[in-house]
Amino acid sequence: MKRSSLRLRLLLGAAIAVFLALALAWVGISLLIHQHIETREAAQLRSVAERVVAGLTLDAAGKPMIDPAPSDAAFQAIAGGTYWQAIGPGGSAQSPSLWDQSLPEAAASSDDWTTATVPGPFGKQLTMVSRRIQPDRRARDVIVRVAADDSEMRDALREFDAELALSLAFLWVVLSLAAYFQVSLGLRPLDRLRRELDRLRRSPAARLSDNHPAEILPLTEAINAMAAARESDLARARRRAADLAHSLKTPLAVVAAQSRRARDEGATSAAEGIDRAVTAVGAALEAELARSRAAAARGSGGESNPSEVADGLISVIERTEKGEQIAFSADLASNLRLAVDSSDLAEMLGALIENASRHARRHVAVSGDLEDGAIVLRVEDDGPGMEDAAITRAMERGVRIDETGGGHGFGLAIVRDLAEATEGEFRLGRSQLGGLSAELRWQSD
Amino acid sequence: MRVLLVEDDPDLAEDVARALTAAGFVVDRSGNGEDAWFQGDVEDYALVILDLGLPGLDGLTVLKRWRSAGRTMPVLILTARGDWTEKVEGIEAGADDYMAKPFAVGELIARARALVRRAAGHATATLKIGELAIDTARMTASIGGQQTQLSQLEYRLLNFLGHEQDRVVSAGEIAEHLYGASDGQDTNAVEAIVTRLRRKLGSRAIETRRGLGYLLTGQIE
Repeated sequence: MKRSSLRLRLLLGAAIAVFLALALAWVGISLLIHQHIETREAAQLRSVAERVVAGLTLDAAGKPMIDPAPSDAAFQAIAGGTYWQAIGPGGSAQSPSLWDQSLPEAAASSDDWTTATVPGPFGKQLTMVSRRIQPDRRARDVIVRVAADDSEMRDALREFDAELALSLAFLWVVLSLAAYFQVSLGLRPLDRLRRELDRLRRSPAARLSDNHPAEILPLTEAINAMAAARESDLARARRRAADLAHSLKTPLAVVAAQSRRARDEGATSAAEGIDRAVTAVGAALEAELARSRAAAARGSGGESNPSEVADGLISVIERTEKGEQIAFSADLASNLRLAVDSSDLAEMLGALIENASRHARRHVAVSGDLEDGAIVLRVEDDGPGMEDAAITRAMERGVRIDETGGGHGFGLAIVRDLAEATEGEFRLGRSQLGGLSAELRWQSD
Repeated sequence: MRVLLVEDDPDLAEDVARALTAAGFVVDRSGNGEDAWFQGDVEDYALVILDLGLPGLDGLTVLKRWRSAGRTMPVLILTARGDWTEKVEGIEAGADDYMAKPFAVGELIARARALVRRAAGHATATLKIGELAIDTARMTASIGGQQTQLSQLEYRLLNFLGHEQDRVVSAGEIAEHLYGASDGQDTNAVEAIVTRLRRKLGSRAIETRRGLGYLLTGQIE
């Protein structure tokens, strides 16, 4: 998953938000529980303290006396964990559990019960309630304190906090997983979009479907509009290349005709110079045309029927001087369909059939079939064929295969470029007929 | 011999016309499709040289109109695009030959002569075998009234079988007729031609006698 991924961004966002919410919940719940428990503890201590106050009298010396004293076992055992103490002007009374110790003085001994957490005797933390009262009319103050060791309660609260944190962490994991599924589900339409875009990249004739979610639809519509513009640009580029050829070739034919006139008028060497120049310009023009055709063919899509294309080409080549002498056989399934534009396929097959008929003795065979999921078109002849070394050399870029063939020398180079541009393979080999076998292969999807 | 030259570039038309005249043709010229179509429709020409890229009506349309109106004069098309699709379209529209620009005028004259000779050189004669009629002048065949264009080799093979009516002819014999001296390999070529003929004429027009050879029956499927 990449850093800039939308999925990661959504997932991280969800995980962090859920984490913060759960952390806040943990703090809040813990605070509430602590408060609640402490209030209950204080209430219990107060009810004990009320009993102490109820039995409180002062003797003549002003020493408080508690009768009856609370008899709970916890007040009897030394350091029993629960303590009371009453401090009067003439001395103090306290529970046996306090032994010779004293409860610490609270921050402010007011006229109402106050609760505080104080460091107590025997090294324990205590929760203590205390208040000042006047047991008789002589207005002598007695301070009453009741305290209990709360370490067990604190341990329990700590345990509760830890368990709460653990279950909230588990909840975080579950919610994050839920967010992951939600994000995956939400992003699934994008996967489909990506597949459709991939198809569009390979074939400008393809379009994105219109059954995407409403949020994506404006995007796909914009992309489709762009694809349509690109397709028409491609078509225009092709037309321009053809127009350019037309506009240059006719003047070139004029020049060629002029050379003949010059020759007739005796300017033989000038005519030869013109002829050479016309041939060179014509070849450069053909090469440029072939290049622009290959560029336009790249990803241009389309569909062709190889059987029909081959039949048409054979009917043309049969009329050439060399083709008249050759027997052509075309063995292509009529239902074979190739995802290559008809005119591009015609340029490839045309060059191959013409080349084969120039080198054949009697027979040129064109065949087409589906082999291992690939559409394979073969043009074979019964001519002398080529040596392996010559085949290797011929397939190198920019090499003219047949120097004697006039302007047709780069025919095989055109085939190679067009095959590459249409994502096909071009191979030369030895034919069973004895001559050259030229093979075009496209993986069919 | 009258030739109609249809070419919109005046310089090129001038030079080609000059060469044709020097070669003994009488040249009529036309610079746009509409005029050319009219001239070709009403006059009898021994040959038409037709540029495909014309103002007004394009060359391919002109050619198709002539053919559908039953005009059968030989037509040589000049193409500037020079791509295979255009050549195929030209031949399918009824052209007899094509040349891609820029061409050598000498070659154009030679091709023009060959086309005229092919069309006019033979006396009209028709060979009939069953439902099949072979037109030896136009090198075409028709079966059950359906006209079919034949290549040079197809015509020669069919003509040979036609002259050997009711006889089974071996592939070796045909190869010898087509190619002069022959070896074993050539029977493959003969088989290829027969296959193409059957696609044009129907599979029953030529029967195969296993181990013996071929028999022209001229039957419809």
